[in-house]
Amino acid sequence: MRRNISFIFLTALAAFFCLALAACGGSEAKMSQTITVDKAAPADQQVLVAQSSEPEFLDPQLSNFEGDVAIERMLFRGLYELQLDSSNNVVAVPAMAADEPQVNGNVYTITLKDNLEWSDGQPLTAQDFEYSLKRECSPDVAAPYQYLLGAGMLDLVGCDDYFNGQGTADGVGVKALDAKTLQMTLTAPKPTFTTIMSLWPTYPLRKDVIDKYGANWTDPANIVVDGPYTLTEFVAKDHATLAPNPNWALDPKPQLQKVTIKFIDDMEVAFNAFQTGELDMTQVAATDIPTIQNDSTLKSEYLQVGSLRISAVEMQMQNPVLANPNVRLALSRAIDRDALVNVVYNGAYLPATYWLAQGLPGYQGNDAFQSIIGYDPDAAKQALADAGYPNGQGFPKLTLTVADDPVRQAEGQFLQQAWKQVLGIDVDIQAADRATGADLYNSGNFELFQGGWQNDYPDPENSLIGVFNTDGANNQHACNDPDIDAKLAAAGAETDNATRIKDLQEAETLVVTRLCGVAPLWQGAVLYLVNSKVGGVRPNGAIDAAMPGNWCPECWFIKAQ
Amino acid sequence: MQEVAYQTGTFEDANGPPMRARGLWSDAFRALRRNRMAMLAVVILLLLALLSASTAFTQAIARYSYSDQLYQHVMEGPSWSHFFGTDYLGRDNWSRVLTGVSISLEIGVGAQIIVLAIGVSVGVAAALGGRVGDSALMRLTDVTYAFPDLLFIILLRSVLLGRHMPVLGEPRLQVMLAIALVNWTTIARLVRGQMLSLAEREYVTAARTLGASNWRIVTRHMLPNTLGPVIVAFAFGIPFAIFAEAALGFLGLGVPAPMPSLGSLVTDGYNHMSNVWILVFPAGAIALLMLCFTFLGDGLRDALDPRQR
Amino acid sequence: MAGYIIRRVLQLIPVLWAVATITFLLMHLVPGGPFTQDKALPANIVDALNRRYHLDQPLWKQYLLYLWNLLHLDLGLSFRGDRDVSQLIRDGFFVSAQLGVLAFVVASVVGLALGVLSALNHNRFLDYFGVFFATAGAALPSFVLASFLVVVFGVKLGWFEILGWGGPIQFSHTLDPSAWEWRKLVLPVLALSMLPAAFIARVTRASMLEVLNQDYMRTARAKGLSKLTVVWRHGLKNAMVPVLTVMGPCAAMLVTGSFIIERVFSIPGVGRAFVEAVADRDYAMIMGSTLFYAAVIAVANLIVDVLYAAVDPRIRYR
Repeated sequence: MRRNISFIFLTALAAFFCLALAACGGSEAKMSQTITVDKAAPADQQVLVAQSSEPEFLDPQLSNFEGDVAIERMLFRGLYELQLDSSNNVVAVPAMAADEPQVNGNVYTITLKDNLEWSDGQPLTAQDFEYSLKRECSPDVAAPYQYLLGAGMLDLVGCDDYFNGQGTADGVGVKALDAKTLQMTLTAPKPTFTTIMSLWPTYPLRKDVIDKYGANWTDPANIVVDGPYTLTEFVAKDHATLAPNPNWALDPKPQLQKVTIKFIDDMEVAFNAFQTGELDMTQVAATDIPTIQNDSTLKSEYLQVGSLRISAVEMQMQNPVLANPNVRLALSRAIDRDALVNVVYNGAYLPATYWLAQGLPGYQGNDAFQSIIGYDPDAAKQALADAGYPNGQGFPKLTLTVADDPVRQAEGQFLQQAWKQVLGIDVDIQAADRATGADLYNSGNFELFQGGWQNDYPDPENSLIGVFNTDGANNQHACNDPDIDAKLAAAGAETDNATRIKDLQEAETLVVTRLCGVAPLWQGAVLYLVNSKVGGVRPNGAIDAAMPGNWCPECWFIKAQ
Repeated sequence: MQEVAYQTGTFEDANGPPMRARGLWSDAFRALRRNRMAMLAVVILLLLALLSASTAFTQAIARYSYSDQLYQHVMEGPSWSHFFGTDYLGRDNWSRVLTGVSISLEIGVGAQIIVLAIGVSVGVAAALGGRVGDSALMRLTDVTYAFPDLLFIILLRSVLLGRHMPVLGEPRLQVMLAIALVNWTTIARLVRGQMLSLAEREYVTAARTLGASNWRIVTRHMLPNTLGPVIVAFAFGIPFAIFAEAALGFLGLGVPAPMPSLGSLVTDGYNHMSNVWILVFPAGAIALLMLCFTFLGDGLRDALDPRQR
Repeated sequence: MAGYIIRRVLQLIPVLWAVATITFLLMHLVPGGPFTQDKALPANIVDALNRRYHLDQPLWKQYLLYLWNLLHLDLGLSFRGDRDVSQLIRDGFFVSAQLGVLAFVVASVVGLALGVLSALNHNRFLDYFGVFFATAGAALPSFVLASFLVVVFGVKLGWFEILGWGGPIQFSHTLDPSAWEWRKLVLPVLALSMLPAAFIARVTRASMLEVLNQDYMRTARAKGLSKLTVVWRHGLKNAMVPVLTVMGPCAAMLVTGSFIIERVFSIPGVGRAFVEAVADRDYAMIMGSTLFYAAVIAVANLIVDVLYAAVDPRIRYR
């Protein structure tokens, strides 16, 4: 052994480099698959989808996470559903409802379609909707999204009172007039009615099933659904299996015979499994884009869907340094958003100096704000000097709280570098895992935070109301501006849609130009890989990140090979 | 009471013959010098340490700062201008690996020093503490031993992460502490076992008869004789600490950006597989460190334990 | 011996209690709770959730409640979906144990064989190869190795599959071998077994070398016994003692599942469940898995000690 040190070391190094070369050797050319419209035989109609989080609950009213809602969308359907119209705007169209609601003052009357059934053959009635909406307001259920039905949102009469223990279920303004007619009473007419009535907290539920099985009613053996698929198997921490619901009332009827949803939280693992063919659809991280671009097959299977998500640097306005508008202006103008998106996200996202995302009514875009808060190193330096810190002298060290996922950390390092180079200031990066970060954020315990906003539903009021009004539930950055408050209050009370949108746009302008707690960075997209054998995946705007084409899972099919 | 001392990582039992405090050290050193693998390991380690430490003083060797982001040169392979290529933010990989080596070494050795401090104190206290002290400290050792290592490290690190505290706030210290707190039991058991057996030896009895205080006996006669296996355990523990740091980095609980430890560099490589070099070089550095410490540990063990000759 | 075993099992109880207490404290010191969301939940909802899971009680009360349940062997409910923690651990362990046992078998066989062969061919090619493997195998962190295996043998060459566990995931699947996918088993087992194999090879080699140099071995050969008999009956048995000390902790580590391997291959084992529980702040699951791990490690150590005494007659336990 002692004589052959060099032999051992050289062999080790050689083995190492062989492995490295093998790993970076070109990928094997896959046969490109001809795309036809013909569908494959039923036996082959199976799809394997990856989802990054395991659902906590499959009860739509207990659900808090996208991972839950994504699957619930495949199992249930509400009165209305969201679709993209021809100009790619999000609209709510009738699903279980026969038509738009009849509005009489504050009273909305909805007629159901004929012959609707549950998966066990029972008829789907208006009573099921009445039960479900009352349950969403129930204090015993403690539904996390109850506020969507409450004040400021849907404004369903009696819902908040019931939830806060000051009313009863009978006081809630929803009543089934007969098996096909549902009547809802709001405190004021709402333009967003049909949008909210397509969301998961309003899905119909079966009272007898829930009473009989209690918390276990979502087990595969017990669950009863009205959506295109039903749950046949659920293995905790591994996967869920869905099969078509034979009593699905709407069109199209599902072609797939089996959908397996695997829970994989590491995107690299999912990406590798997609390449080996063990997954048919998955989300991918922006860091994998170079690999995808370099492979012709992967490139043709790549799908990028704009999302209603604005990422921003949130600035704690209660911090004396950040309270100074020139400081905030300097921080914002020092960031080259184009470079950020190209270097860190490989061009997958849109640089943004706006807050209302593209795809929302009222979107104004970069043109309105680029010259005011956009990248301009000289203006940035000037602003910092105006604030009293020429060349960064005397500027205290701030901390940027960053999520612990690798791409977000790269962005944090980019920002750190930008501020150092342009302004000459030092910013510390504090990495926090999801729960710690959320804890710090919700208590307002941060200086600079890598945050932003993701819409719960596609309306601009969701982007602004609650986020920037003083004492808003989501105003952790402590934006406190009477002009903004006035605009948002006006918008919330406005019944004419056009005026309402205009008010919200003006609020956006105030928020952005005054950098009231946020400096927008980019508008996100969700990136997917969809195997070319899968057809019918209609990219849907926006909110749903977990699976592509999740608004119409009944549209998916396997193409004939 | 268990009679067998646990020796994961070392293979001799604790009841070896005592060594005389003088003369044997120079013997040991000579034996070590003759072990060419160990000497090569020492040379490589010193070289690595020098190279990586140089980044603190001068940029001549590293050539770039480890945090400068050059957006024109993102994800490049090895070249003359960038020996190890660049990473996803255009940072020079060579400089980052060098810095990473120094930080990993710092954490590895630092953690082991804390381990030494805790382990020796507990071992000595247990051996000299009478039945009660011994029992109590051995239970503490059992509990720590029973705790699954990485689980405890994760918990501890999660507790300390993100908190601004005066001394403990330094992330490198937190990582060292977390690793050390799970790793001290081996040395504690080793020291205790050695001390217990040595306490029966004639020369100790002789020293006590001559009126030497307990403290003097411990520090002058017993401790030096336990040092042999302890040094070996110390050397073998460093690779474990470096591995643990790498695992922590992989789980996102390592040192914060932009500080590159080998663990976070390997994790970056795993997440950016489109340029394999980001993974290959840090992994290679870890492997090199591991090999060196293993050979060094082997050499020390051979040199310090005469029975192995 | 029986008395010794009983005493050791009884000693387990205070140890587990200490582990439970330390975990409980640490867990509640980690910032953020199970219901901390990116968007703040309305206060009344957080209150309702806290009430449901007894998180609104003072800490000491929660602690005592937990201990009380523990005495009834009730590990509580996971916050994710109100699932029974003991059920989750059992299901996870079912998978981790398969992975661990397979890896242990592979590591032992490969390690022992290489170690013995190296020792028998001291200073010749097989020895160099053995030493190289033993040191190189231990030189890379398992996830680096796993990443290489995944990319090279899974993605690029396509020889093996990399997603999930190939064996039965639930107990009910055990009796249906046709559903097993052996192509998924190879890479995770390989990745997990390399390090222990290298370790076992080193120890075996060193131990065998020491034993081979003993006088009684030469005597046995001089007496005319075949080399195989000498090695097998006299050499190996005596060499096993230090090897067992290493195999014990290896076994415990393997059986409880390397969570990095489980994460890289998306295997639904206990290790991965624990890491996710910490990230989710799922208190019941964290407590349950930690106690479970501690118990398994303690039992594994006990088995090793007993085997140690059985193999080496010089060791007697008082």
